[in-house]
Amino acid sequence: MATTTAAGGRPPLWRDVRVLRVAFQVAVLAAVVAFVAYLYDNLQANDVELDFGFLDQQAGFRIAYTDLRPSDTVLDAMLTGLRNTVTVALVGIVLTLVVGTVVGIARLSGNWIVRHVAGAYVEVLRNVPPLLVIVFVNAGALATLPPIQEASRIDGLLVLSVSEIGVVSLRGDGNGWPYLVTLGLAVAAAVAVGVWRTRLEERTGRPARRWLWSGGLVLVVAVVAYLALDGPVVVSRPEVEGLGIRGGNRMGLPFASVLVGLVLYTSSHVAEIVRGSIQAVPRGQTEAADALGLSTGQRLRHVVLPQAFRIATPPIINQCLNLTKNTSLGVAVAFAELMGVTNTVIGNGDPAIPAILVAMGMYLVLSLAISLVANLANHRLRLVER
Amino acid sequence: MLLALGLVAASCSDDSNGDGEEAAGGGGGGGSLLDEVRDRGVLRCGVNETVPGFGLVDESGEYSGFDIEFCKVVAAGILGDAEAVEYVSLDTETRFTALDAGDIDVLIRNTTWTSSRDGAENARFLVTTFYDGQGMMVRADSGYGSIADMDGTTICVLSGTTTELNLATAAAQAGIDYEPLTFTEADQIQEAFTAGQCQGWTSDKSQLAGVRSTFPESEGGPEALTILEETFSKEPLGPVVRDGDDEWADAVNWTIIATIQAEEFGITSENVEEMRSSDNLDVLRFLGEPIPTEDGESDAAPFDPGLGLEPDFAVDIVSQVGNYGEIYERTVGPDTPLGLERGLNAQWTDGGLLYAAPYR
Amino acid sequence: MTAADVLTEPIGVPEPEPPSRDLTPRQWVRANLFSSPFNSALTVVIGLGAAYVLVRLARWAFVTADWAIVRVNLRLFMVGFFPVDQLWRLWAALYVLVVTSGLAAGALAEAARRVADGDAEPRPALPRRVLAALRRFWPAVVCVGVILSFTRTPGPTVGTVGLVAAGALAGAAGRRLPRRLQRWAWVLPIVGLIGALQVIVAGEGGVGWDRWGGLHLAVAATIAGTALAFPLGLLLALGRRSSLPALRLVSIVYIEAFRAVPLVTLLFLGGYMVGYLFPNTVDPPSFLVRAVIAVTLFEAAYIAEIVRGGLQAVPRGQYEAAQALGLSPVGVMRLVVLPQALRAVIPAMVGQFISLFKDTSLLTIIGFLELIEVTRIVAQQDAFRGQGLRPIALAFVGLVYWAGCSTMSRESRRLERRLGVGER
Repeated sequence: MATTTAAGGRPPLWRDVRVLRVAFQVAVLAAVVAFVAYLYDNLQANDVELDFGFLDQQAGFRIAYTDLRPSDTVLDAMLTGLRNTVTVALVGIVLTLVVGTVVGIARLSGNWIVRHVAGAYVEVLRNVPPLLVIVFVNAGALATLPPIQEASRIDGLLVLSVSEIGVVSLRGDGNGWPYLVTLGLAVAAAVAVGVWRTRLEERTGRPARRWLWSGGLVLVVAVVAYLALDGPVVVSRPEVEGLGIRGGNRMGLPFASVLVGLVLYTSSHVAEIVRGSIQAVPRGQTEAADALGLSTGQRLRHVVLPQAFRIATPPIINQCLNLTKNTSLGVAVAFAELMGVTNTVIGNGDPAIPAILVAMGMYLVLSLAISLVANLANHRLRLVER
Repeated sequence: MLLALGLVAASCSDDSNGDGEEAAGGGGGGGSLLDEVRDRGVLRCGVNETVPGFGLVDESGEYSGFDIEFCKVVAAGILGDAEAVEYVSLDTETRFTALDAGDIDVLIRNTTWTSSRDGAENARFLVTTFYDGQGMMVRADSGYGSIADMDGTTICVLSGTTTELNLATAAAQAGIDYEPLTFTEADQIQEAFTAGQCQGWTSDKSQLAGVRSTFPESEGGPEALTILEETFSKEPLGPVVRDGDDEWADAVNWTIIATIQAEEFGITSENVEEMRSSDNLDVLRFLGEPIPTEDGESDAAPFDPGLGLEPDFAVDIVSQVGNYGEIYERTVGPDTPLGLERGLNAQWTDGGLLYAAPYR
Repeated sequence: MTAADVLTEPIGVPEPEPPSRDLTPRQWVRANLFSSPFNSALTVVIGLGAAYVLVRLARWAFVTADWAIVRVNLRLFMVGFFPVDQLWRLWAALYVLVVTSGLAAGALAEAARRVADGDAEPRPALPRRVLAALRRFWPAVVCVGVILSFTRTPGPTVGTVGLVAAGALAGAAGRRLPRRLQRWAWVLPIVGLIGALQVIVAGEGGVGWDRWGGLHLAVAATIAGTALAFPLGLLLALGRRSSLPALRLVSIVYIEAFRAVPLVTLLFLGGYMVGYLFPNTVDPPSFLVRAVIAVTLFEAAYIAEIVRGGLQAVPRGQYEAAQALGLSPVGVMRLVVLPQALRAVIPAMVGQFISLFKDTSLLTIIGFLELIEVTRIVAQQDAFRGQGLRPIALAFVGLVYWAGCSTMSRESRRLERRLGVGER
């Protein structure tokens, strides 16, 4: 370090690095504490109470597609908003990953048209604000979709109307839960079998057909359990009934707008990441795989994609977090997610600063939870790959 | 960067003022907003920008509507210039914050006077400019005659408003189930309702009438919509100022009252100059003319109630903007697209609720 | 089709190749569109779908859509409620900006050419240069063209042509600046920004930022947010890399907390709470200033992470070499590490600038007269209400955002290639 002392003795205090380090840190912490205290004082001086008692009072309003009653508390209302946020985020992340991967790979296709259509998709959607995409989807749907009485439909699969959208879904009847649990066990067992077959393959050097074994196991269990439990899962088809949709997965237009808008926007980013990651795998790897005599499929599966996947994971996690945070834009299209509910609560006369702090706390927990899970997954992936 | 420089400058000066002064104590820096607005020379008025008849913006950026006229009234009464207004567009959620934070001097934005807002929002409601009630609008061909028929429907409503809370109550009383679709802005509801996203739209009846009267012909025109007879609630709408500044509140209040009083006296923007030489002593006092004494001397000082307003503030208001009736007729009255009858908003002498406190 | 099917196609095709000279058109079509049965099917299905969408879109844009809602309100979209009689200030500010940055760009290009010395290719002739510029900036050119086509007087068109000419002339002048002055060229844009701000706000009739709106507000808020957040972000990045645990802790908590919450919540909190950061003795900052403060605090956390990336990219040997030279810790940072780190993060910073430009659209949620807010207002005007015209206004706004963002991201990629940052 830069403190070489002249006479070999201890330097004076104000030149002693150890003292300086401690002093500086104390000063920084003191500044932070002083700032918070100042802010708190200033709030007090302006009669702003950080009182969270409003959370236990009656909300007085309702939220569409939820069980929230006017007699429920404000906290219930905000948690309902959080649930809407989480729902749209989870469904959105799954769809985004699928669409983004397909588009990203399409950008590398040898087919000129596929490549360019995918390119246009990415270049247009990446360069506009997500809020604009959501609002545009919403406004476009309002301008084009028919009212519920004249809903357009693909019979049994999809009902499209301006107020509600219904999509075919699977629904468990009485034995739904036992069936789900059985399937879960089967998948766990299949993973174990897969690991075992892989080890076997590595040990013996002969192909052990792990996919056949694992997939077969799940399939067999699924069929047997389905028959044994007497059709535990039914296909639920959306039908217009009165002024609403019965059956299937029904969602309001605000939910659909946010979902579609966010998937369009985020998938364009994911597509770029996927493309970049595949291209980032050094050419030498491909050439080496060719030299080993691997087929195109083998080369992709065993050499290129695993590496690309590893490169792509951290930025894709980032995009998932972005999507989660961007659900807050739903407030612009009347989707009752956390921020929208918070706004309503504030509009009803509950204190603004505490309400927003509660909402921010919920977002914080949500983001941290997602990044925790994702980082754990990423960590495991690295250990396995290396 | 443009902003940056200004901000840096601002924060620098803040630092120099602020060091060690954090215990400056409660309450603002002392003087009334009245002096501040006079110094500034412009009134900052929080308004709506998407409600037909009450607040709209045209392509040259000009605001117009009933609420806008009252911003002008306040500016004319306090600053002597009806055009000295800076309009600030606000949402239902941001309106009270803006008031509380001092972004606006007065809030004139279809705001209902309720006890909890008076109590909790740090807001003070002034004289009501528009007596309204909450109603429900449906398509004429839907066959709904009352809210009790609307079981299973989707109903559009502004979030964070009294109407949203009233809807829940009214529906519970009628024993119906409904899906609420809540928006933050009236124009969003307009789009949703036109597209058929909801079967009912509940709001203040004046707003509904405004929307109905301007409903596009392509969608069937005004006849395609019906406003149900029922009224769910009382909605007194009026200007709001920040709590704790009585001087300012009084001044704003009396500029509004002056428009009502002027109509009662029959003073209009046309005849205000003639009325200055009226022989009605109340009118003379109201217009800030010297009151002739018994023995015919007329050089006595004009009446000044001590509101901090110029004695002839009412002349400025009426000559530049007009009396209440003129404002009403111009923006929402029977001859406008909205076509609202006076109803509750007539003078008390005509069976309405407008009743100006005496000016003396 | 499945992902795997598409994947069996050759991977790593770089940029789309035009029909190259050694292929006849027939061969090109075979190779690129119908190389296999699966590919042929894909070509037909996707091709028909794309053609259908394109035709519908073109029909909508040129036939069905009535752009009057944009034409009539163009000024609201561009500058919001900026007073008409003061509009000359905006033009003057634009000229100041264009001339100063033109001078700077010219000077920097000349300096770069001199460094490259003999290797540099001679500059192509003027028509070639114009063509190259058109190709390089085509999204912006298209957007400006569309905007000008909506104007009803020749004024804006003349003004824009003048701007381009002034920029080109300034660029030429910049190349001829004496060498001594060229070294200081980077100061020019800063001077330009200050000058432009002065032209807009200063003097009788100056227009304060509370009356800015539309595209003007979006651009101003983006520049302000970035410029203010950068110093804070730099400090946070250094703090996070510091060897002092307390400093590291504070930086990490700040960065992670602000990155974990959506900007919307911060904007709302800014509206409610930033006022209380100031003592009662000073006037509360205006709504816009509070919003910009919220944006700045948010942006600083992201910039910190970018700068940290740049710091990590500086090889350890650089630190050690600098220390071996006897530089103080501050000197190591200032003279050796930061110059390299900051150069490395320029493309990422441009990316962040773009993302902030997009994020300014959120100002509409808290009620500012931002571009999306304008679409709401105009859709409620008497002439347009209830006719479902908002998508048209939104499409125009989308074009403006798209042109801005895609021009910047193209430039950023260009810069990245020239700086050689992305190379392994």
